[in-house]
Amino acid sequence: MSSVRVQELTKSFTVKYKQAGLAGSLRSLFAPQTEEKVAVQPLDFTIEQGEVLAFLGPNGAGKSTTIKMLTGILHPTSGSAEVLGFNPWQERQKLAFHVGSVFGQKSQLWYHLPPVDTFELMARIYEIPRGEFLKRRDQLVERFELGPYLNTTVRKLSLGERMRCEIAAALLHRPQIVFLDEPTIGLDVVVKQKIRDLIREMNREEGTTLFLTSHDAGDVEQLCKRVIVINHGQVILDDSVSNMKREFLTHKTIHLKLAELPQPIALPGVTVVKQKGTGMKLSVDTALTSIETVLSFIVTHYKLVDVTIEDPSMEEIITHIYERTGKGGV
Amino acid sequence: MSTAAKKSLSLLQFLLTTWKLNLAGAMEFRMSFSISVGTMILNNFVWVFFWGIYFTKFPLVNGWTLQDVMMVQAIGNGAFGVAAVFFGNFIGIANIVSTGQLDTYLAQPKPVLLNVLVSKMTVSAIGDLLFCLILYGLYGVHTGLGLAKFLLALLIGAAIMVFFNVLAQSLAFFIGNAEGLGFQVFNAFLTVSLYPTNIFHGLGKLILFTALPAGYISFLPIGLLRDWSNSFVWGAVGVALGLALLAFRVFRIGLKRYGSGNMMTMRM
Repeated sequence: MSSVRVQELTKSFTVKYKQAGLAGSLRSLFAPQTEEKVAVQPLDFTIEQGEVLAFLGPNGAGKSTTIKMLTGILHPTSGSAEVLGFNPWQERQKLAFHVGSVFGQKSQLWYHLPPVDTFELMARIYEIPRGEFLKRRDQLVERFELGPYLNTTVRKLSLGERMRCEIAAALLHRPQIVFLDEPTIGLDVVVKQKIRDLIREMNREEGTTLFLTSHDAGDVEQLCKRVIVINHGQVILDDSVSNMKREFLTHKTIHLKLAELPQPIALPGVTVVKQKGTGMKLSVDTALTSIETVLSFIVTHYKLVDVTIEDPSMEEIITHIYERTGKGGV
Repeated sequence: MSTAAKKSLSLLQFLLTTWKLNLAGAMEFRMSFSISVGTMILNNFVWVFFWGIYFTKFPLVNGWTLQDVMMVQAIGNGAFGVAAVFFGNFIGIANIVSTGQLDTYLAQPKPVLLNVLVSKMTVSAIGDLLFCLILYGLYGVHTGLGLAKFLLALLIGAAIMVFFNVLAQSLAFFIGNAEGLGFQVFNAFLTVSLYPTNIFHGLGKLILFTALPAGYISFLPIGLLRDWSNSFVWGAVGVALGLALLAFRVFRIGLKRYGSGNMMTMRM
C-alpha cells in the first residue's frame, strides 16, 4: 500500500528581479521586473507504507518546496498528490492528524517554556485523549532520554537536546508518515548518531513511513533504503541506497595525526592525498579495501594521536551523480 | 456526544491551553511582565488625566459627558486589550506571512487563522484590560444589566478590531510586505476608536462607519450603553460578523498564494 503518490506535481513562483543598488531599487519601484521561477518540475514518485526515503538535492533543488506541497503548506501550480489517501492542500486539516513534521530550521517548541508545556499543547492540537497522551509522552521521554530537561525552558537547551524534543513532539500523535527536513543540521556526531538511532527505532517498531531530506551522507547511509535525488526540481536518480552507495559512495577520507613520521602505506585503493609532517590525509576506495582493514593497518603500523573519518559530502555525491547522468554540475 | 460537539469541545480545550501557555510564557520574565503591565496602565491614565482637566472647564463634548468619554476610553482600550491578549497576532499576520512563518500553523490540524491569532499574547495589553476594568469600576453602571451591556460592548469592539485588522494584515498575501501598511491602518483605527464619535462630521463620520469602521466602537458608549439603539447595536453586530466572515474568506484565498520562506523561526 502506498503512503505517498505524486503525479506531474509542479510549483512555480513569481520572483521579483532587481538590479543592485539604490538606482536599481528606484527603477524597480516604478517598473518592477518579475520572472517565473520553476521550483519543482513535473515530479512523479510513489512511496510505500513503512518505507524510509531519502529525498536529496543541493540547496534550491526543490526539496523543501516538495515537502511543503505534500504537507499542504503550499498549493502546487499543477499536478496531483495523495498522502495517506488525502489531497494535502484540499484536505490539509484531516491529513495533518496523521502526519508529523520536523523542520530543522523551524521550531514547534515554545521558546520561553519547557518542552513539557509544548507537549501539553500538542496533545490538544492533535486531540489525543488524556490517558493515551500521558502514556505516549512518558514512553517518548524514556526513549529519547528527555527526563533531565523536560522542565527546562527551551531557550536554555542545547541544539541537540532541542532537536530530540522537536522529534518527540512530532511523534506524540503517532503519525503514520513523518517528514524530516534536515533533522540533524548543526548537530555534533554523537547527537546525530543518537537521533538516527531513534528515528530507525521508530520506523522499525511503529512502521512509520519516513521522508527525509539531509545534506549528511551519514543520515542517508544509516537510515534510508531508497533515495530520490532531485535538482532544478527534476528527479535525476531514484534507486536503492545500496545501489547508490555501490556506485557513488565509494570513497572515504581519513585524516590522521601521528606521533612520528609515517611509513608508506601500501593497501589497494588507499592513496595519500596530502602529507605534511606527522599529519596525513588518505583517500580510501571502500570497494577495494574496507575501512576496518585500513584502520587495523594504521593502528598496527603507526603511533596514532588522532583520527577522523569523513564521508564525501552530499554535494560531492550529487556531483558524481550528475557526471554519470550527464546533467551538468551542481 | 455528537461529532460537532466533540469538535467544538476539543477546539475550546485547544484555545484554553494556548491562552494558558501564552500567559505562562509571558510570566516567565517576572520583572518585564510587571513593568509592561504597570506602565501601560499608567500610560492610559495620562489620557484620563487630560480628559479630566478638559471637563473641569467644559461640561460636554458635543453632547458627550465625562462618563461617556470615560466609557469610550474603557471600551476602546478594553477592546484592544481583549484582542491583543487573546488574539495577539491580529496585528502580526503580515509579518508572519511575509517571513514564511505560517508553515508551523499549516502543518497542524487546526483552523489556520484561529491558530495564528491565539498563538501570541501581548503582555502590555493585560495593562489595557486592567485599565478598562478600573474605568468601569469608576464610571460604569454597576448593575447586572449594566455589566452585561458593558461586556457585550467589549465583545463587539474586540471582534471589529480583530477582524478589520486581519483584513488589512492579509494584504501581505497579495502585495508582499504589508507590515507598514498594516501598522498604519491599526494606528489610525485605534486612535479614532478612542475619541467621541460626535467630534467627527460629514466625510470624517462617513469614513468612520464605512472604510475605517472604528465608529462602531467609539459610538458604543452612547448607542449601546447610555441610550440603547436597536438599529445601532444590530448594525454593530452585523459589521462584526460581516468583517469576521470576510476576514476568514480573504485569509483562505490568501493561503493559496502563500509562498512560505526559508527564515529560521522559533515560537516565542
